[in-house]
Amino acid sequence: MQLIVNETESQLSVTVAESRIDAAIATRFKDRMKEIVGRGRKPVVMDMHRVDFMDSSGLGAMIAVRKALPETFPLILDGLTPNVERVFRLTRMDSVFQIRPAPTPQE
Amino acid sequence: MTPTERPDAGRQPRPDLRVQPMFHRVLSAGPEDVRQALTDLRGRFEAVVDADAMGRLELVLAEVMNNVAEHSGTPGVAPGLMHLCVVMHDSGLSCAITDNGNQLPPDCLRPRALPVMDPLDLPEGGFGWFLIQGLTHSLCYYREDHRNCLAFTVPWHPFS
Repeated sequence: MQLIVNETESQLSVTVAESRIDAAIATRFKDRMKEIVGRGRKPVVMDMHRVDFMDSSGLGAMIAVRKALPETFPLILDGLTPNVERVFRLTRMDSVFQIRPAPTPQE
Repeated sequence: MTPTERPDAGRQPRPDLRVQPMFHRVLSAGPEDVRQALTDLRGRFEAVVDADAMGRLELVLAEVMNNVAEHSGTPGVAPGLMHLCVVMHDSGLSCAITDNGNQLPPDCLRPRALPVMDPLDLPEGGFGWFLIQGLTHSLCYYREDHRNCLAFTVPWHPFS
């Protein structure tokens, strides 16, 4: 599980260096992320630009992570790729997270 | 052997067969094998299917095959086996998945809504069949002896 954590005074940044958040790693991902956000008690920014696939078990893991962070702290998802953004949008879970899509690649 | 002309081909030979990628795989019903099959499927179709349709196809197949992986085989003893076949049609990518697991509960195929959004206790599951139904057409299921057969098409363009 490749998660790169960088903690500053004001926030916790987590770069997800996995290309897929799927059923094969969802439980490990959830447990590890809950541990990371649980000890920080500050806003969390997740850099998602390397994740190019997520299924509903991955979405479930993300929701569990959101629930592990007190509601007063935002969970920002930065750099969502189209395949990942689609799952949040279709399930209306895009309203629960603060989402910043990846910039469209310049040809 | 040297190639020769077919003696009875006639003046107007039959039109060329369309040659385009298809995908068939027999796999163990576990999350690692599902991941590998999806990665290989992407490799097969990526050059001829646009990124949006490819993404929808991969998501639907992940949802279906993860469900099979969860419900087939004998827990703790041996995973089940499933067969996956994907072909390109004029209307989209047609898929068939068969497995030797328990019968699919009829509820899965009835129109699905999203799970209830309780802001104080957000649902962490129950999205799979909603996604499958929303991203496919001609979804059909048949139970043949001890096998589940599920077929559907992922259209080239998303539903508006």
